[in-house]
Amino acid sequence: MTLLAVNNLTKYYGKTLAVNNISFEFESGRCVALIGPNGAGKTTTLQMLAGLLKPTEGTIQFQQDNKKDDIRSLIGYLPQFPAFYPWMTGREFLIYSGKLSKIPASEVEKRADKLLERVGISEAKNRRISTYSGGMKQRLGIAQAIIHRPKLLMLDEPVSALDPLGRREVLTLMEELKNDLTILFSTHILSDADEVSDELLLLHQGEIVEAGPMDELRTKYQTTTIELSFENNLEAYVAKLEQLSSVVKTSVDKNIVHVTVDSIEEARQEILTNALEEKWPLTDFSVNRASLEDMFMKAVNG
Amino acid sequence: MEWITLFNKEMLEHWRNFKWIWVPLVLILLAIMDPITTYYLPVILENVGGLPEGAMFEIPELLPVEALMMSLAQLSSLGVLVIVLMSMGTIAGERKSGVAELILVKPIRYLNYITAKWSALLLIVWVSLTLALSTSWYYINLLFGELSFTDLLLTIFFYGLWFSFVITLVIFFSVISRSPGLVAAFTIITTIAMSIITSLFGKHLTWSPSNMSGHIEYAIVSQELTKDLMMTGLITLILIGILIVGAQQIFIRKEQIN
Repeated sequence: MTLLAVNNLTKYYGKTLAVNNISFEFESGRCVALIGPNGAGKTTTLQMLAGLLKPTEGTIQFQQDNKKDDIRSLIGYLPQFPAFYPWMTGREFLIYSGKLSKIPASEVEKRADKLLERVGISEAKNRRISTYSGGMKQRLGIAQAIIHRPKLLMLDEPVSALDPLGRREVLTLMEELKNDLTILFSTHILSDADEVSDELLLLHQGEIVEAGPMDELRTKYQTTTIELSFENNLEAYVAKLEQLSSVVKTSVDKNIVHVTVDSIEEARQEILTNALEEKWPLTDFSVNRASLEDMFMKAVNG
Repeated sequence: MEWITLFNKEMLEHWRNFKWIWVPLVLILLAIMDPITTYYLPVILENVGGLPEGAMFEIPELLPVEALMMSLAQLSSLGVLVIVLMSMGTIAGERKSGVAELILVKPIRYLNYITAKWSALLLIVWVSLTLALSTSWYYINLLFGELSFTDLLLTIFFYGLWFSFVITLVIFFSVISRSPGLVAAFTIITTIAMSIITSLFGKHLTWSPSNMSGHIEYAIVSQELTKDLMMTGLITLILIGILIVGAQQIFIRKEQIN
């Protein structure tokens, strides 16, 4: 079932075009990564979805049971640089958020305590937020975004500002949350997107340049190259490789030979058979999987 | 329910920021400063000395109502400054720090968000003003002669309306600007401009909120609830209502972030 459908969304700041006519939709239960370089329009898009900014043009449709419901009660949102009331304790802020999200008073404290446990800041829950570290604030931010059990959780650059440890913790938390919620998160760090998301939206200069399920995109951008390295006598083997029927061309970069081929399967068979028969001194043989980075560069550069 | 949650948070914040302590104290000080120093001026001059031999000093006897007006004069200048500084960060500060981004994505009504903050500020202001004027009233009765309790109540009520108007201006400008400093500046400039315009076109603007102190004085002297005072009160209330509705409308239309 389609959870969110965005049509021709456009946003101008004055005369500056931030988001240019983007459309996408995704189903519930997915984890969608909105990736793109800084200034691509990721934050603006998320803020429009959260209702904080008004689109210049276009529509945003949530799948909702009751048309009268406030859309804001269906989403949880964590901004890129979440700010809290420094004079509140973590627990107080979470309870306050919960009450504003219409959780019954009898339940909100119990839920807050459970959630503080789950995001791993329960020891610090009665300390003022001004004493929290960046990672703790991020986790409190996630907690306040999910306390009302939203259908869609939106996270704006949830791990970009964290150290490796904090980043690992938040990614693990997201991995767990994926089972209960639909997640839409933005990042400019491609390996993070690679790790947790099932679907990608590539944003560049306010436009979606590529979108789709992760595995489909991988196949689409599959490069047909095989990389080889040899112990010695590189040139001799390059010459031999070029005579093989499945090889289109070769190029040498440092000590690695990049072999462009028509079909990975055929070329693998032919190269390995030759290598075995002629006892090539191979040190490395790898089939190049399309990395997100390649995908991104290709999509952006056309 | 939602309004109570928002209001309680404001109360807790004002308590933890010590506003509940310093605002009443400062207003009490401002209210009693002038009447008391005036009363003790001869003693002060005598002790400080430095007057040439044979200098004569004629210090006019102050009527109780004149002493009360001294309190109001201090509250109208420094007092206004204090309550503006106390309230300038309420909405503007939250928008500037970014915490508004977390709060406004919650399913809350913007009108509740605004009025909860406004009400919490008004509560501090009214309590502080009541304490300040009551203290002043106590000293006036002690030092200058009798001023009735009804006069005190009338002063608190109508002067409280003027302070409420100032707070409402702050709320209104907070919706327009994200900088607490600018909010304070806009508010102060507006009150100054209002009093200049009122004194320039006095004939046509009898019921301007800036004239509140003057009308209170007349009412106490004449010992009746004058029509001018009532009308000024009414006009002030109407302006407060317009400003709050205006603030809400702007809040809805304007993007509150970036």
